[in-house]
Amino acid sequence: MAEAIQKKLKAEVDKYTLMQKDVSKSMSARQKLETQLTENNIVKEELDLMESANTVYKLIGPVLVKQDLDEAKATVGKRLEYINGEIQRYEALLKDMEKKSDQQREVLSSLQQEFQKAQGLVVGKA
Amino acid sequence: MSEKGKMNGEQFGGAVRLREEHEKVVKDCESRIDHWKKVSGDYEALNDRLKTLPDKLAYDIMVPFGPLAFMPGKLVHTNEVTVLLGDNWFAKCSAKQAQKIVDHRMKHVKHELDELTKTVKNFEARVGFAKDLETMALNKRDYVDIREDFGNNEEGVHKGKRRIALKPKSKPKLGPVIDLKEEDEEDEGEAHKSVLSEQELWARLDELEKLEQLQDEQDRLSDTADTNGEDTSSSSSEEEKDGDPAASVNAQSLKPSWTTEPPREEPSCKDTKDDDEEEEVHSLPTIAFSHTVEPKKVRINTGKNTTLKYSERKEQKDHSKKKKKNGHSNGHLHPEHYKITTPADLYRLFVDVKNGEPVPRKSILKSRSRENSVCSDTSESSAADFEERRMMSRSFSHDDNTTHSDTSDGVTEEDSPAAAPAHQASRFEAFSATVIEKDPMPTTVPHLTIAHPALPTILERKQEEVGLETSSTDCTALPPPPPPPQPPQPAVKKLSKFKAARLQQM
Repeated sequence: MAEAIQKKLKAEVDKYTLMQKDVSKSMSARQKLETQLTENNIVKEELDLMESANTVYKLIGPVLVKQDLDEAKATVGKRLEYINGEIQRYEALLKDMEKKSDQQREVLSSLQQEFQKAQGLVVGKA
Repeated sequence: MSEKGKMNGEQFGGAVRLREEHEKVVKDCESRIDHWKKVSGDYEALNDRLKTLPDKLAYDIMVPFGPLAFMPGKLVHTNEVTVLLGDNWFAKCSAKQAQKIVDHRMKHVKHELDELTKTVKNFEARVGFAKDLETMALNKRDYVDIREDFGNNEEGVHKGKRRIALKPKSKPKLGPVIDLKEEDEEDEGEAHKSVLSEQELWARLDELEKLEQLQDEQDRLSDTADTNGEDTSSSSSEEEKDGDPAASVNAQSLKPSWTTEPPREEPSCKDTKDDDEEEEVHSLPTIAFSHTVEPKKVRINTGKNTTLKYSERKEQKDHSKKKKKNGHSNGHLHPEHYKITTPADLYRLFVDVKNGEPVPRKSILKSRSRENSVCSDTSESSAADFEERRMMSRSFSHDDNTTHSDTSDGVTEEDSPAAAPAHQASRFEAFSATVIEKDPMPTTVPHLTIAHPALPTILERKQEEVGLETSSTDCTALPPPPPPPQPPQPAVKKLSKFKAARLQQM
């Protein structure tokens, strides 16, 4: 009886650790997106400071490619929107994961209690 | 016991971990701050360079060739700067435009720095609290856990405004008293000051309430004449207090009672609860509170530097006497009667009892014979009382009854020049109700310090009623010394006559 519970417990614990990993992954991805967001915001503002006389380049691989200022602004704007969307998606994902991990935690705790009881019984018997 | 120990151990461990976590955050923030400071320094250097760069068309420099070699060369196009805007975007700009960009970035860096410093401060504070928590968990004796059972709306309606307004006053005055008490009393070894002060305050209130009850019983038993009763009872009450074993400690703190009374007053005037103190033994010594209603108290000076306590019991005494005269018995109503919750209550309380029926007064400050007045201000009062009366008047007439407070202020103004001698020797009652000070003003000094609706009525009445008793009244003291002797005399006479007439009325 105790062993069965023990096995169950192990399985649940593994599940829980997996979930936690996923949560942390999405957390880090979200943080990346945050930094990109701030960066692109700065780029946007600085592009606004630029006049059309200045040439704008984009680094594609080892090559600096000339870009039109307006095009550049548009591109940066689009990128910003994209980043925002991604952040929202990740947030939703994170919420879901947190819920699941909480449920898993509860399951774990109940199993632990059972296990302790069973162990107590076993000790009592033996 | 083991459980207690466990709990404490847990508390302790938890507190330690909390502190450690906070300290981690603080360290992290500090490292980030260092980073941003570096960046800021770099940008400053860059700014300087950009300023000087366009000065020359070309610079002779040693160009680095890889990590180990240099080569002499020239730096040309000194005004053209290719700026990395971020995210693989570049822009070619002049040096000045580059400077603008640098400034823009500096703003951002500063912003980050400020935020970080804020968080550092916050977490440092939290670390401090966690430390306190640790020490608290360790040393049971020094810290007390105060618990209060909250009963929902036990006491009914409270005036929240009043309470808030009066709170700031109570605290500074409590300070010195509580220090005294700390010296005198032997508490359960509580050292933490804020906790102590509260606890002692509750203890004090509790004791005072007990004293009150004792005096109540005494008064009911000894239902002797009021004439001497007021002063003697007050003095006896003070003696009682001195002699009371429970209040033996309070004796010292009663004398500087000006400070204690107001806080005592204010809670009562707030018409709120009184607190009973109970101590329970927990893992930490705990104090639990429950709330009861405290009888109202008002302090009024009769001018002899004796401070009489106008309290419910005295009112009851008065009323019981009167009612005995008049054949009524209404004792059980009193506690409810004397609860002042609205300005209207003031007028309910400030009544004259004529022939057993309460007749509402036109003005609270009008002088009546002390016998019949329920509560009123005294004309003679030392300077020390002014504040108290002001407070009292404020507490009574908090929002609406500005007239009352005005006149009381006027009263106090008037009283200050006239250090009042004794009131009528024959009538020693709790309240000498002669705010007739306003009267001499028009005769002696042409201006009126406070023009008040109540005043004309007083003046009129006095001019109407002209009795012929020259008894030394409070009024004699009232006319300020500077005015010429003649006007006071007729004024005095008038006043005395008035007084006499009034006395005759009642």
